[in-house]
Amino acid sequence: MKHALILVALALLPGRSALPQKAPTPERHRRGLWGEFGGGPGYVRIACSSCTDVVGATGATSYFRIGGVISRNVVIGFEVFSLLDNAFGFSPQDSGATAETGTAAIILLWYPGRHGLYFKGGVGAAFGQFSVPVDSGGGGTAVADTSTGGGMGLTFGIGWDIAISRKFALTANATSFVTALGDVVAGSRRVDDLIASMYQVSIGFTIR
Amino acid sequence: MTASIIAALLAVQFDTTPRPLMAVAQTVAINVFVNRMDAWAFNQDWAQGVGPGSWSRNLRLGWEWDEDAFPTNMFAHPYHGGLYFNSGRANGLDYFRSVPLAFFGSWSWENFGETYRPSLNDWFMTSFGGITLGEVFHRVGATIRDNRASGMSRFMREVAALPVDPIGGLNRLIRGEWTARGANPPEHNPQDFVLRLGAGARFAKRFNGDATMTTGTFLLDLLYGDQVGQPYTGPFDVFNVRLVLTDYGGLNALRASGRLFGANLNNPNGRNRHMLAINQRYDFYKNPAQSVGGQSVEIGINSRWPIGHKGYAIRTAIFGDGIFLGAIDAPGTGLGDRNYDFGPGVGARWEFALERHGARFLRIFSQLEYIHAVSGASADHIVDFGGIEAAFPIMRGLGLSASSTVFGRTSRYSDGRARDARDYPEARLMLVWWKVGFGQ
Repeated sequence: MKHALILVALALLPGRSALPQKAPTPERHRRGLWGEFGGGPGYVRIACSSCTDVVGATGATSYFRIGGVISRNVVIGFEVFSLLDNAFGFSPQDSGATAETGTAAIILLWYPGRHGLYFKGGVGAAFGQFSVPVDSGGGGTAVADTSTGGGMGLTFGIGWDIAISRKFALTANATSFVTALGDVVAGSRRVDDLIASMYQVSIGFTIR
Repeated sequence: MTASIIAALLAVQFDTTPRPLMAVAQTVAINVFVNRMDAWAFNQDWAQGVGPGSWSRNLRLGWEWDEDAFPTNMFAHPYHGGLYFNSGRANGLDYFRSVPLAFFGSWSWENFGETYRPSLNDWFMTSFGGITLGEVFHRVGATIRDNRASGMSRFMREVAALPVDPIGGLNRLIRGEWTARGANPPEHNPQDFVLRLGAGARFAKRFNGDATMTTGTFLLDLLYGDQVGQPYTGPFDVFNVRLVLTDYGGLNALRASGRLFGANLNNPNGRNRHMLAINQRYDFYKNPAQSVGGQSVEIGINSRWPIGHKGYAIRTAIFGDGIFLGAIDAPGTGLGDRNYDFGPGVGARWEFALERHGARFLRIFSQLEYIHAVSGASADHIVDFGGIEAAFPIMRGLGLSASSTVFGRTSRYSDGRARDARDYPEARLMLVWWKVGFGQ
């Protein structure tokens, strides 16, 4: 009788049931096919082989990701990212250029715990397009000299999925991109071995 | 009861609990050690001058391309990256959890370990190359060591593993595992393997004009695991390494390729086997006539068709690859003192082989790669490499090997320079010794 009372008392203890319980299954961060898009402010730093200093500019960024699930804590995806600056200049004197840089990369998101925190890493192709106004055509039409560069890039970042519901989340990101774009000839200026480093803070919407 | 006590003791002696903080601390310690050695022992200005001033300058200015020699960038840096990676592997972290250490170790060295601006090509080569070589070295080290051995044999094994996995060896020394006896880790025994060592003569053209030059050559081939015979269990459960040394130029070639992922494409119990594989690859080729290398990932199919019942089979492989960052020399390339270009690329390769019990005795192969330069000349390079290798047994485990290969390249420049195309044929004749543990 004494043992039976002890067992009953143990069973009634909150959170310490003596009876076997099924362990709660942690929610997956993302399931099946997932997608995410968003944007925010960014900063780009341009370095090149013949440059004595680096050029920095702010711009608007946007991104899109789509992917699948590898395991409970790791998801894989394809990400397209771009940064646009309409008042870019390779030197402080010329700030009338338009610069668009970005990456298309395979990424991995690793969630170290049950919370929405994740770390991102990825590698892929990179592109850059620079349009410099060089003259005015007849009738006031602006003429731009456009040059593109292509190469590869790395991306690293940190983010947090804030669940709105089981299917949707808001996602905060702080991400860096390092891209090598090769030689770019923009207007009368030749920029060799261009490296664009981009930093982005963004809010995204995730369907998961 | 006795078995459980022994198991408990072994668990204490060979603790495999992940120690991420220790791994990070060792990564930092590697950088501090290398920097102080260069500063105090070799009086290098770039090491002595590091401090808050260089750190803030490096962080402000960011990445650039460096002008180091080809072997430094394409071999020494990846080897260095392997130390970072193996600080994770030696502290109980698996492959994927060790990957960030390679990137972190290289990034922190580039920004804080030297006064030079951080080099983007170093970050790529040290990190990606370090992961590939690091995992290969970790597994080769585990294969050389034997936790069941004792005495001088045990000591010699631990010492022999040091050059390939120094971080693993030092961790074992600190933890008293050089003498502790117990079970070996799973990577100690690859199940199937082929080890081939060869020495002989190499005949190459275009090293010095059109004359044929004869040099000595040494070859090491290691097939660790079987691409089609073993189900996928984890990254680099199957890999292969080829090392070629010559008495004219030293390190001639080092190539390592490890399986990141594998999946059966047909019935695993079927006679013919086909497996999808994603491999991580490291390539280094260097001689007086050609320098090319890079870090890449490839995806393709490995197949094996048995012939008869005496162990003979046909092997084929067909793969497409993406080069994260490659390097190649060509006329007019380079930057400053550097005489080669950096760039990403794509490529493909195929292979046909005849084998007996896993040891290939006839192999025909071809590889084509495209590299778009992003540092150096404004150029696009196409590299093709193909050849035939044959081995003729003299007695059990010993034979003659003959091979003929052609390395070709075409470089197109966007600045109006003429297209450059050339090829480098060579042949090798070697006495080879092999040891095979395959399907047994």
